[in-house]
Amino acid sequence: MFRQPKRRTAGRKNFDLPQIYHEQSYKSRLSMYDQPPLLEVTLEEFELWAIDRLKVLIEIESCVARTKTIKQTEAAIKPLLLKYLPLSPATASNQAIVDAERKKDYYSHFILRLVFCRNEELRKKFVKNESILFRIRYAQLQPKEQQEFVDSLNDKLSWTYISSEEKRAIVDKLYAATGAAIRTVLMADSPDTATMTNEQIKQRIATHENFIKLPFEKVPNLTSSRSVFIQAGYAYIPTTMQLSLLAVDFQENLSQMLIRTFQSLPRLEEDDRLLPLLNNLSQNFSSYQYDAAQYGEAKSDINAISITKPAITRHYPLCASHVQKNLVANSHLKYDARSQLSLFLKGIGLSVDEALKFWADQFTKGASGITMDTFNKNYRYNIRHDYGLEGGRINKRPWDCARILQMTTPRSSSGQYHGCPYKTFSADVLTHNLQELGITDQHEINGVIDQVANNEYTHACTRVFELTHKNELKGTKAEEEMHISHPNLYFDRSRQLERAATEKS
Amino acid sequence: MLFFYKRLLPFKQVFKWLSHSPKVTKDFTMREFAFEFRTGAYQRYNSYGSVDEFKQSVINANPTRFEVGAVYAVNPKERKNLPKTAMKPESKELVFDIDLTDYDDIRTCCQKTDICKKCWKFIRVGSKVMDAALRDDFGFKHMVWVFSGRRGAHCWISDPRVRQMNEVTRKSIIDYMDVLASKQSKLSSKKPLLVKRPLHPHVERSLEILSEEFVEIILNDQDPWFTAPDTASDAKSWTQIEELLSFLPDNKLQQELRSKWKSSSGISTSRDKWEDINVVAKSVLKSTAQANQLLDARKDIIIYYMYPRLDVEVSRQVIHLLKSPFCIHPGTGNVCVPFDPTQNISGNSQDDSYGFNPMTAPNLRILQKELDSWEQNSPSNDSDKKLADYERTSLKPYVEYFSKFVNDMITDELQGISKRAREEDLSF
Repeated sequence: MFRQPKRRTAGRKNFDLPQIYHEQSYKSRLSMYDQPPLLEVTLEEFELWAIDRLKVLIEIESCVARTKTIKQTEAAIKPLLLKYLPLSPATASNQAIVDAERKKDYYSHFILRLVFCRNEELRKKFVKNESILFRIRYAQLQPKEQQEFVDSLNDKLSWTYISSEEKRAIVDKLYAATGAAIRTVLMADSPDTATMTNEQIKQRIATHENFIKLPFEKVPNLTSSRSVFIQAGYAYIPTTMQLSLLAVDFQENLSQMLIRTFQSLPRLEEDDRLLPLLNNLSQNFSSYQYDAAQYGEAKSDINAISITKPAITRHYPLCASHVQKNLVANSHLKYDARSQLSLFLKGIGLSVDEALKFWADQFTKGASGITMDTFNKNYRYNIRHDYGLEGGRINKRPWDCARILQMTTPRSSSGQYHGCPYKTFSADVLTHNLQELGITDQHEINGVIDQVANNEYTHACTRVFELTHKNELKGTKAEEEMHISHPNLYFDRSRQLERAATEKS
Repeated sequence: MLFFYKRLLPFKQVFKWLSHSPKVTKDFTMREFAFEFRTGAYQRYNSYGSVDEFKQSVINANPTRFEVGAVYAVNPKERKNLPKTAMKPESKELVFDIDLTDYDDIRTCCQKTDICKKCWKFIRVGSKVMDAALRDDFGFKHMVWVFSGRRGAHCWISDPRVRQMNEVTRKSIIDYMDVLASKQSKLSSKKPLLVKRPLHPHVERSLEILSEEFVEIILNDQDPWFTAPDTASDAKSWTQIEELLSFLPDNKLQQELRSKWKSSSGISTSRDKWEDINVVAKSVLKSTAQANQLLDARKDIIIYYMYPRLDVEVSRQVIHLLKSPFCIHPGTGNVCVPFDPTQNISGNSQDDSYGFNPMTAPNLRILQKELDSWEQNSPSNDSDKKLADYERTSLKPYVEYFSKFVNDMITDELQGISKRAREEDLSF
């Protein structure tokens, strides 16, 4: 089962360690990851640690996709953390274990930085998920450990706590500015605090909360939202909000470091051991990669005729049905939309012959005035190219959501319909489309629109999937609640659910 | 216009204000100035090495106005010889802009570009609110309010800390100040309350300031909910009344009030209606919880109608240009004079209740007359009394006010520099 580390690398050093360097001692269970690791690890460790951490991050991503609260997310990843990235509190007897665990955590973080620094989308995702992990872990620390952790960062953070006299003098204002936020945090911890009176909250401020005082420039978010008390240029931040302050620091630091990692990545290009590994890892996370061969069977009902029928089209995600609807209406599609739809259809199992039939039918049937000759001259090559039968003969994969989201904004005035509708539609048009999909509950529609407003388009699409498949999803395993990151995934899951439902009955 | 640039505009003070020192500093030489000409042409990226060069250039170009921009890392006028990336804005004063056109839905006295003494009170109370927040909350000291020449006011903040701020920080201050940012969403989504409770200390303090003047400005002067049956103004009043009602917490209360006001046959003022709310509420609202809701709603109404409405774009961007103090507004001929929101400096006792009265602000035509009459009346042998030309006109108190502001600022600035220098000395 376990392969031995390769011996031949054991004696070889690829770089000289600085003389002054000693192995970092991991003082706390939590880390800001501000010093890059310098010791050697084996390739096996490198890969294994990265995959283990990745498993945790993927779970976080999928929790976020299902708009779970941070508490629910914490519950979901707790078993994973114990299994893959345990961090035990230090005791006298377990020093070796603790060091090993912290080392794994530390190194795996830096390995994944290499993986996820490639492009903006990956960086954002990584920063988001790592920040959530950071928050959850911070919350898991004992209060004493939290304090120690903050203290250990003291040089960098330069936090000063206000004295109790100063606090007493301004307690009313502190309550007015931060009382509501403190109450929310308390309620998340223990619901029975919901009934606390304002006086009790004030009391708590006076006795429990330690306020940090720092220049308001440091906390633009809290300033913007008027969620802290500001006086004479200083913002007063209660204990309960210090986590968000830390998390902001963590987040900013990490995004900067990822860009720097990206800039120095070319130095790795020569290393043929790591690059394939890194590429592989980043793909695993970035999206579900659609492989047509995998779904080869049971697709016999997909042909040029059936894909125009509701029995099939009702499994389409909004992007595909939007493009196809316009194809049918205009008897034409421009290049971007054509590629998008053609590859999607290829993904659902439409053979090249059927595809040519379908496109020719659509293009020649109506208003566009395209004859069979013109079609063969201008478009046939294009379709065959998608199937890897022309030109470079690349067997193209259906586009995933990330690819589609990167497309330029379509201008419908000039007949462009490509892209992700959740991104390109206005709120009104989207609402209308959602209603056509059968989502009529205003509350549910607003939920989707909100996600769109936060630029979480795939999350919105996942939500739509869940809403339109409510009945089929009932009673199925939680596993089914997968985040949709590929139009074909939407289609396949929809059909699978349908099949499962018919088998049941 | 030219005589104004030649004789009256206090270039020296403006220069010191922008240089943050009596001497020439980079804050002046690397600063962008822009000219606007009568033809509509707009010339950006001018910069000057000295106050004389600056003055001479303005006189030669004779623009309708000149605007002040950011301090750049390089000399703006040499930007064509430099790569684009070198033109980085490094610092600028933080500016706030309040414009009375943003109050059109509540103003009954004037519309669009017109203003009068009544609606200037919105600016007066707005500047009080802003001043308190900027001083007490953010700890800024050196700010000056400038009449924009027609229907608004600018606030320039010159503290060193402010000048260095990036756009994120500027944005956070604007958001903090811009309590009414949710104004639009409130109207469309009918959220129960405009501002969240408990009121943030800044909102609470602003509310106190606004409440003091609510009766005067809204109920008496503007009187937006005034109704007299069968008059032309009724339609606008009723949209206003519906808006007022939409703030109230209880449907029944809204209906009772609406029918009461609809059925009234005589003249009914805003003040009557404001009192009606309480009277009717007493009979309709039963619980103390409801009464508290109404109290909150009344606070919301005061904030909604009177809190300063900011033009945020001007403040956000470091590179944004804004008309310099003491320019002439091309449309009105008014001088963009600095004013003191807390007290009247015009020397005209009639203006005392306005703080600043835009209707009697120094105007190009008047200033010309004042200069002419002074020259006719005074014998030429008076020249031994070396008076600057502005001191012979009604511009005098404004220039003096500005000079004092600039000198205070420079004193602090120099202290700051010498303090830093001392600290550096100590570290050796």
